[in-house]
Order: sequence, then C-alpha cells, then structure tokens
Amino acid sequence: MRKLRMGVISYAHPHALRFAGQIASGRHTKLVAISGDGPNSDVARVEARRFGAHFYKTYEELLRDDNVEAVYIAIETYRHKEVAVRAAEEGKHILLEKPIALTLEDADEIIKAAKKAGVKLMVPYNPRFTEPLQKAKEMLDAGEVGPLEYIYTISENVKPPIFLQGLDMSWFLDARKSGGGGFMDTAPHGIDSLFWLTEDVPKKVYADIGAKIYGFPVDDIGTAVLEFRKGVLAVLTAGWGNPKGYSYGIEMKYYLVGREGFLDIRTAYPDFTVYQERAEKIYWDRPDVRGIVESFARAILKDEKVPIPGEVAKKNLAVVLAAYESSRKRKAVKVSL
Amino acid sequence: MELKVGIIGCGNIFNLAHKSALKRIEGVKVVACMDIDGERARKGAEELGARAFTNLDEFLDLDLDAVLVLTPTYTHSELAIRALKAGKHVIVEKPIALTVEEGEKMIRTAEREGLHLLVGHVRRFDKRWLQMKEIIEKRNILPMHIRKTEVQNLPFPRDYWYWDEKRSGGVAVDLGVHVTDFLRWFFEGEPVSVYAVGKSIKEEARANGTWDHFIMMIAFEGGKTGIAEVSWAYPYPARYGVFYHHVDIIGRNGRIRYTPLDTPVVGVAKANFEMPRFSPLLSTFPEAFEMELRHFFNVIKGKDEPRVTAQDALIALKIAERAKESAMKGEVVEV
Repeated sequence: MRKLRMGVISYAHPHALRFAGQIASGRHTKLVAISGDGPNSDVARVEARRFGAHFYKTYEELLRDDNVEAVYIAIETYRHKEVAVRAAEEGKHILLEKPIALTLEDADEIIKAAKKAGVKLMVPYNPRFTEPLQKAKEMLDAGEVGPLEYIYTISENVKPPIFLQGLDMSWFLDARKSGGGGFMDTAPHGIDSLFWLTEDVPKKVYADIGAKIYGFPVDDIGTAVLEFRKGVLAVLTAGWGNPKGYSYGIEMKYYLVGREGFLDIRTAYPDFTVYQERAEKIYWDRPDVRGIVESFARAILKDEKVPIPGEVAKKNLAVVLAAYESSRKRKAVKVSL
Repeated sequence: MELKVGIIGCGNIFNLAHKSALKRIEGVKVVACMDIDGERARKGAEELGARAFTNLDEFLDLDLDAVLVLTPTYTHSELAIRALKAGKHVIVEKPIALTVEEGEKMIRTAEREGLHLLVGHVRRFDKRWLQMKEIIEKRNILPMHIRKTEVQNLPFPRDYWYWDEKRSGGVAVDLGVHVTDFLRWFFEGEPVSVYAVGKSIKEEARANGTWDHFIMMIAFEGGKTGIAEVSWAYPYPARYGVFYHHVDIIGRNGRIRYTPLDTPVVGVAKANFEMPRFSPLLSTFPEAFEMELRHFFNVIKGKDEPRVTAQDALIALKIAERAKESAMKGEVVEV
C-alpha cells in the first residue's frame, strides 16, 4: 500500500499535536502540509518545519495544494462546517475532530458535502481504538460475560485544557465556539464507545451537567443516564473534573456488567510513572491515535468504508445535545436516532 | 448504670454483626432474645447468656431499657411501635421502615412516648467514610459530584424475603438508603429531585417482579450531583457475596476516590480461587457495628447526642421511595 498524503488544518485543538506526529510517522501516511488557522498558529509553523511539511497561513491555501489528498481538521468546532465543506469541495478526504459540528443541521451539511464530492468523512473517537476496550469487546462478542446489562463509564475525565502549558486553549471556554465545556469536549468519546459496545443507540437520556468545579463560564463536568433501545442501561461521567495533581492525563474507565460476568477496564493506555513533586503518568504508546489514522488511510487507499462515518458522528452529537437539553430542562429527554 | 437490652430477630444481621459487637460492649446486658423461630432464639440467647422468647407479649413484658429490632424490613414499624408503646427505647436496623408513612408513624410514637428511636445507618460509623469526611473538611474540599456504589451478588434463593418488594422494598430501598444517607451526609445538604432507572437482571429479580439493579441521579441543593448505584446483580460468584463499594468525590479543590481494587488485600492462589484473607471490605464492618451500638447505647444513657437521627433515616428512605416512583414513571420526581 502506498502512503496517503495528508495535511493538518489548524492547531486550535491540541489533538493536532498527536495526530500530526502519527500522520508523519505512519506506515501509510505522509504529512505534507500544515495550515495555521486560529489559535496556536505559531505552534503549527514550528511543527511544519519539524516535519518538513509545507506551511500555509490559511486552510484555503492548503486546500488548493494538489499534493494534499486528505486533511485532518483540528480547527475550533464552530468553524468545522465552513472548513469541512470547503475541503469536500476541493476533493479532499476528511478526518474531522469531534464533535462533528455545533448543530445537527451543520452536521447534515458536512455529510451532504462529503457525499456530493465523493470523499470519505470520518470523525475520530479514541476509546474504541484502545487495546483494553477492544479486548473487552471481543470478550463481549464471544459471550464470555453473557448478555450485556449495564455499563458505567468515566470516559473520559481530564484536567481542564487551559492547564495545558504552551497552548492557547481559551476557545474551549467559549460555548459559542466550542458548543459547551468539559462535557461537550469529552462525552463524545464515551458515547461513541457505548454505541460500539452495545451496537445500539439510546432512546432516552437524563443528564446533569454544570460548571461545578472550577467556576469557568462553561460546564466542567456532567453525568448522563442513557437507556438504550435494546435494554442496556449506561451511566457516563465526562468532563474536566480532574485536579492538577491527578496523575493521569486522561482517565478512562469502564465497568461492564453482563448477566454472567463483569469486566473491569481501568486504563486506556500503557504507561509508566514519574515521581517528582507529584506523580505523573507517561503514556508510552497511543494505539488509539495510530488506529484512527491507519484505519482512515486504509479506507481511502483501498476504497473501503471508514469505521466511524459522519452519520455516526451526527448521532453522537444528537445524544450530547439531548444530554444538555435534559440538564437544562431538568427532565429526561427522548431521542430518536 | 447497666442497660438491659432485648433483641428481636436473631437471623442474618444479628449473627453477622450485632452478636459479636454486643459481647464486647460493657455496661450493657442482653437479657432476652426473641425470634419467631424458637431454635434461632435459643441459639442467640445461649450465646449471649440471655433468655429465649418466641412470644412478643411475654418479651415486651420484661423490664428492658432498650430493644434492638433486627428483623426483615416489613416488620420494623409494627415491632418498633409496640416496643416503644411498651416503654422501651428502640434501635432498629436500616431501612427505618418499609415505607415513609410507616417511618413517620414510628417517629411520632417515639416522640409521644419520650423515647429514643435510633436507626442503624452503619455507614456513618465506618472508619473508611469517617476518615474520608474528616479529610474533606481538613483539606477544604467542597464535594460537588459524588458517586457511591454498593453492589453485590445477593446469594439468597428467590423465595427469600429480600427478593420480595413488599417485604424488603427491593434493592432500591434496602441498599439504596445506605447511599442516599451517605450522599446527604457528605454533601451536608438536602436533595431536590431524583431520576432513577431500575433493571431486573437476575432470574430471582425477574421472577419476583423487582429491580435488582438501580441507578439514582439525585440533584442536591447548590448544583451538587449525587449518583447512587446499588445492585444485587453484580455477577461475582456467590462466595464473593460481600459488598463492593466505590466512591468518587469530585469537588472544588480536590478529588477523592476509593475503590477496593486500589486497596491492600491478601489473596491466596490455590487450585481453586479463594476469598481474600484480608480485605478492607471485610475488615471495617465489625468495628462499625460495634461503634454504632456503643454510640446508640450512650445516647440512650443520655451521654451523647445521636450522630444520625430517625429523621435522617426517614429522609434517606424518602429519597429511595421517590426514586422508585421516578423509575416507575420514567420521569424526574421532586423530593
């Protein structure tokens, strides 16, 4: 298989750091261009030099580069539609940071544009690409714990992004740009893994989401109770609830209760610990980012389906938005997906 | 002064918890053990050097300062009220009663008779949670989001009273009150509303038309969130039929997490896996029950103010009752 030539649009989202590195070193990908739209354009420029990729000030210039076949878009959420639609029009395949967009209407436009242009559209959610969760799914599918009944997940709980050093993350605290705070930022990961584990979608959501911990202008933590159509019950906590001293960067945890067994999945990535003034976990492998980039590239190079298409990402957003609605109205909300 | 104490109900919880605690507490004399099963009454009485009874009237005719009601939940109200009316202070196992209405009646009776009614919310005497509460205060953490889980694989057969909603209130009440009380205790605030979902997972639950897995999302005043998960359906083998507790407190200025999986154990590996020989899950219960009883006896002696009142127990039950209503309706219910 040859290598897919990719561009990264914007370093507004810190995931750009991980994805760019993975794309540059990937077996089937090559990083050929980076654009510096939005915050952290200085970081984008430095990274372009580091990877030997062409640097463009704006995504429009990058999209006109014929050498670029596909783009990873990490711009602020409120600009997803604008950029993704343009990328589709320019015939670029799209790996679009989550959440897919601010609204379901915008999501539809993105999906439509990609379809019209005949380009692949994928939204990356990490947990289903982690090894422990894949093992768990294998065990579920093999019937090792009997029919699945209940899932509790923290997926994922992180420190607020503004604690990240050296990056401007202020747009995360502006709901007009991000759509919401900690829950919007992290719940999509958990919701995707619930879709994937249950092979089902929820019919009803109740949630309590709020600015409870830090006093930010956006929510920092939320919990949702999700009742799935085929009967699985799930409780999901997501947000920025981890204090500075918390040793893990990301906390991901799943308790899966089957009728005949129980799966306890507690770590997302293999790590080691550094002890100084506080303990810090260093991940020595991120198979999730690798899995996302590889499956995206494979789908394009072999003209197969992407594992997480725009339609799934839209359903994901619908659940997130239903959770916010439930929390606002203080009542359970029915969802029809 | 030595308190003369009588026991009603010499079954599970008496044998697991109260019996050995009572042997260790000084200033208290167990003079009578009553059970409708004569054999159980006789055994209990023999171990504590007391007289055995199967007749409640004869038992209540005795000169007793306090009565411990350790019977199935549905009998709490009648037995407690009869004991109170016979002039005895009452210590009753949690939940206070099967229904809030019954619990209110018990409280009114105790007030009318000028006697103590104390409810065994033993979590308030468990050193794990006491220390956690102390740390929260010392380190100036404000809990905003607490998840407490109490789960087990209930080892009893399907015709056992626990599985009968009309006798135990189901898992939502039986384990539920532990968690609802814990949340009130830790938040130091009152609940506003609850949304709950119940599931029937085990065959025993489905046969009895009761939930054995129950989730409550409780909104507390001040935007605080309590998440209670109680279950009799965790598929641990029956020999691991002990409780598993998990606590995750996310707050301003800190987070506290407890999971038994992080704490020390001594396990043994043999051809067949065995129970842990030491486990914090098993280690704190006896001490907690002893501390609870010591405290309650001191309250009765007038030496102490109750750390957990019948009113607290009633509110814990009320949250669980409203939660069941919510699960039935599929809607949020005000508390």
